[in-house]
Amino acid sequence: MRIRIPRRTGADIGESGTLSDLAFLLIIFFIVIAVFNVNRGFLLGLPRPDSKRVVQRQDLLQADLARDGSIRVEGRVMSLSELSTRLRETRRLRPNMTFALRIDPDTPYQRVVDMIDLVRRLDIDNFSFSMGNLSALGDKE
Amino acid sequence: MRVQRKKRRRPIVPISAMSDIAFLLLIFIMLISLINYRREIPIQYPEAEKLETTQSEKNLEIWVDRSGGLYVQGVRYDRSGIEGIVAEGIMRNPSLRIHILADRDTPYKNVHTVMEILQTLQHRVVSLVVRDRRAE
Repeated sequence: MRIRIPRRTGADIGESGTLSDLAFLLIIFFIVIAVFNVNRGFLLGLPRPDSKRVVQRQDLLQADLARDGSIRVEGRVMSLSELSTRLRETRRLRPNMTFALRIDPDTPYQRVVDMIDLVRRLDIDNFSFSMGNLSALGDKE
Repeated sequence: MRVQRKKRRRPIVPISAMSDIAFLLLIFIMLISLINYRREIPIQYPEAEKLETTQSEKNLEIWVDRSGGLYVQGVRYDRSGIEGIVAEGIMRNPSLRIHILADRDTPYKNVHTVMEILQTLQHRVVSLVVRDRRAE
């Protein structure tokens, strides 16, 4: 009697589809990596170094951001939420309000970002900020 | 007479061609991500809530670390070096978008230095790169 031994046929890697699965997984990985590189943040318009804008005194709300992160408006220390309320109120009374912020050179950058974020959330169009030494001001008060 | 019926052959989908396409796509996407590859400086990103996408077609990233060091493509430069790179970039492409990626704890004066350079070069738009607070 003749016994037939079944021959083992090796699985073709190309035919099995595993190769394409692997390739597609890698594609998804690289697409995700590419998406992660998109920068998000604030887009700001920079004025000319010597440019000046005339604003009515009543329309101007000035604030100082000290090196310890504290906010002072007209000499009074305020929290971010208090400033938010103040800005809302002032804008309601004066729709052309300009918010001018003076920042101490040693203020942590995160505090500056917090202020810009607040201005963005409140949709304040007239906003300007500059750097100035506030240590003298802080010493006085 | 015996008529032989033709056996219907089942259609075969060539899977090997699929993997060829997949690998071509893979090479293409890998090359694109290599072009977009950026050298990151270890910084702690500042966080905010209301953000917008600031990415443009042509971008130049200036990194500011905690101690105030300025970097472009992983290389540290002084103020004049950054000025030269920005000037060259703007000359090549006037619509170049400048991004400032600064550490959250760096003093503001370091970020201001970069802004001053842009103002001196009459570049009007700058992007401050920030992370989404709500995503954390």
